[in-house]
Amino acid sequence: MITEYSHYLEPMKVYIPITDDEYKIANVVVAGGDAVKIGQILAYKFKGKHKLPVVATVSGKVIEIVDKMDRFGKIVNHVVIENDEAYTLDDIPSYKDEVSTAEARKAIERAGLHKVDVDGLFTNLNFEEPIKHVVVSTVFVNEPFISTNYEYLLDNAPEIIDGVAILASAAATKDVTIVADKFLPSEVVDELGKAIVDHDLEEPIFVDTKKVKGWDYKVIQDITKEQLSPNVLDNGVLYVHANTCKMISDVVRKGFPVVSRNVAFTGDGLHKNVVMDVRVGTLLSEVVEELGGYIEQQELNLHIGNYLTGVQVPTDDFAITESVDAVHISIYDEVQEDVCIKCGECNDVCPAGILPQNIMDAELRAVGERIFDLHTDECVECGLCSYVCPSKINVLEWVRRAKRRVG
Amino acid sequence: MEFTMKKPPIVQNSQSSLKRSFNLHIALIVVSIAAIILKAFTAVPDDATFTALDQAFKVFLMLAVGVGVSVIIELFYALSEGSTKKFESYEGFVDPINSGLLIALLLPTITPIYVLILAVGVGVYVGKLVFGGYGYYIFNPALVGVLFANVSFGSRLYVAGTPLELLKKSMSGETYQFENVMELFVGNYEAIAIGSTAAILLVFVMIYLIVTRVIDYRTVVAYLLTVGVISFIAGWVNGFLVDYVIVNMISGFTLFGAAFLVAESVSSPTSRETKYIYAVVIGIMMMLVRVLGNEAEGLVFAVLFGNMITPFINRTVKRSNKQGLIKTVSILAVSVILMGFVLGFLLQNRLIEAFASLGGMM
Repeated sequence: MITEYSHYLEPMKVYIPITDDEYKIANVVVAGGDAVKIGQILAYKFKGKHKLPVVATVSGKVIEIVDKMDRFGKIVNHVVIENDEAYTLDDIPSYKDEVSTAEARKAIERAGLHKVDVDGLFTNLNFEEPIKHVVVSTVFVNEPFISTNYEYLLDNAPEIIDGVAILASAAATKDVTIVADKFLPSEVVDELGKAIVDHDLEEPIFVDTKKVKGWDYKVIQDITKEQLSPNVLDNGVLYVHANTCKMISDVVRKGFPVVSRNVAFTGDGLHKNVVMDVRVGTLLSEVVEELGGYIEQQELNLHIGNYLTGVQVPTDDFAITESVDAVHISIYDEVQEDVCIKCGECNDVCPAGILPQNIMDAELRAVGERIFDLHTDECVECGLCSYVCPSKINVLEWVRRAKRRVG
Repeated sequence: MEFTMKKPPIVQNSQSSLKRSFNLHIALIVVSIAAIILKAFTAVPDDATFTALDQAFKVFLMLAVGVGVSVIIELFYALSEGSTKKFESYEGFVDPINSGLLIALLLPTITPIYVLILAVGVGVYVGKLVFGGYGYYIFNPALVGVLFANVSFGSRLYVAGTPLELLKKSMSGETYQFENVMELFVGNYEAIAIGSTAAILLVFVMIYLIVTRVIDYRTVVAYLLTVGVISFIAGWVNGFLVDYVIVNMISGFTLFGAAFLVAESVSSPTSRETKYIYAVVIGIMMMLVRVLGNEAEGLVFAVLFGNMITPFINRTVKRSNKQGLIKTVSILAVSVILMGFVLGFLLQNRLIEAFASLGGMM
């Protein structure tokens, strides 16, 4: 249970990964000993011909470039910057009032804002393909139980909705849908409502988040009225989180790059559970020390992201980036897997309408043709099949294996 | 600090297959106790050499022997496999006991004990362990055992004058009168199986199993609706409206099957559409045997037939969506109604005549 809200914005060193899981080639433009300001470009990372800047999140001196594990579990180059605690800003243009499509895109790209939401159906901030609908989720699903981070919405409602408007402008579409939790307290709804009216947007859709049933898939399917692909950008939908909208607003209005990220630290492996503003590039081990360390236990489990679809990492020696929304540290609990009793609950719950049990069966028998027949490629890896399984089988893992088998 | 990379801490809901096994276990024990008590109150024929209490003891003996043999076979199998770890706690015994109880409950009071032992042996070994044990079998093990007993020792298991048999005879002209329809609900009569008589109790057990999600409500409802609709139409065509539906619905294996056999999850299909198809196929097969076949009861064959086609119907679906579901359900509904008329007219041997007149009308 989250007990407090705090921040950790003054690390002595930050580690900025210069590549990610999509942009795998990078060209570093600073060298050891250079002085950098906040927002200064450290490197350009490339995906094909498309390039994105990597920016500094503190001002200070570049010490070195080291190999380190990033939050996806890969060893990549990191630029290490020593904090001079001056926090001087680099010169980045900012915009007032109405922002045109070109200006918004330019500002977002200049800040290196691209991959923020990585879990589930969320998409990158990618404006290369035409976008028909923008969907913004204000639901925080960041614990092994569903809790809503009301404070963040309450404090930042104007910025979030402003970010939504800028995003709509950047995507050149008027079709904006905001999704909110049905159980939001009325003051948060009021705040959001005021901001929404100011920006002349449509009313939010309220969803029941207590039921784990893939509501985002259904909302987006209702909007597009077509079969969704695993990356909903292909359906012309840009789906981002409220956090991202706040970042966009900061970037465009203040000329401030993304220097901090709102992260939920949860789990019984920590002494206290908090929601924290952390400077991008801070090592997780440093944050945990700030939180009071781990509890005394032999085996702990570290999990980043959504409690259904996040990734498991072997060490806490990695830098928190803007794509880390939740960190869950729990005591390892051996759950006995039973045999599949073929109850078919995974088949009923699958939001994409495919049949995980049958895919698992085909994968066990190694029949590639059958896996292909069962539309395995439509799986969006939401993890609901693993959630409902009464035999505690990790069904999603079998579906992933099946996907790999047929390529 | 280093972290473990074993199974990730994915959250899962509170459902558990072990809990479901336990719920089935409780339901079977309740039905077994009810069977013993009912037999103690069932009237015995006047010329019989045994009393009602003897009958109740026989039922108890059958249940005990069924459970014992099933557990012993599983234990020996585990020994031959070299691992009896499973049997260190009671959890390991739940499934063997369930199989033993089910087979005993599906046989009549007059069953010789050696037939029961053979039935349990065949059911548990050939029906279950050969395929790899719980979770892997393709035919319902209990029904494999019962089918073996019925086919091999049919004359020793024959019970005269069960409601379904009387109904069948009355179709061919003889007249019978049930003294008390209420007895059919309570289960106070001699039937083809010791567990299948108490209709009211079986309905409650069925609801309990549906609520605890041991069995799927879709299979159960589709199956009961199929039996109900076919017997309603076939009865209406032949002028036995109410009796035909009541006797078909509450006697024989109809309710026992709905609670324990038809929706048994391991041997039934896994997706929505296929569950409906499976249930309707079983309902139609059962009514075919009941109306046209030699036997008075057809559920055993019907469920095994359903199990047999399960892999095939599993293979016919590629994905499940609303349109597919609506299409499947409407085709099934039409075929059930048509089947009702076909069976009704077949009983009167004027199927061709009826369809010819239908063609003439058109």
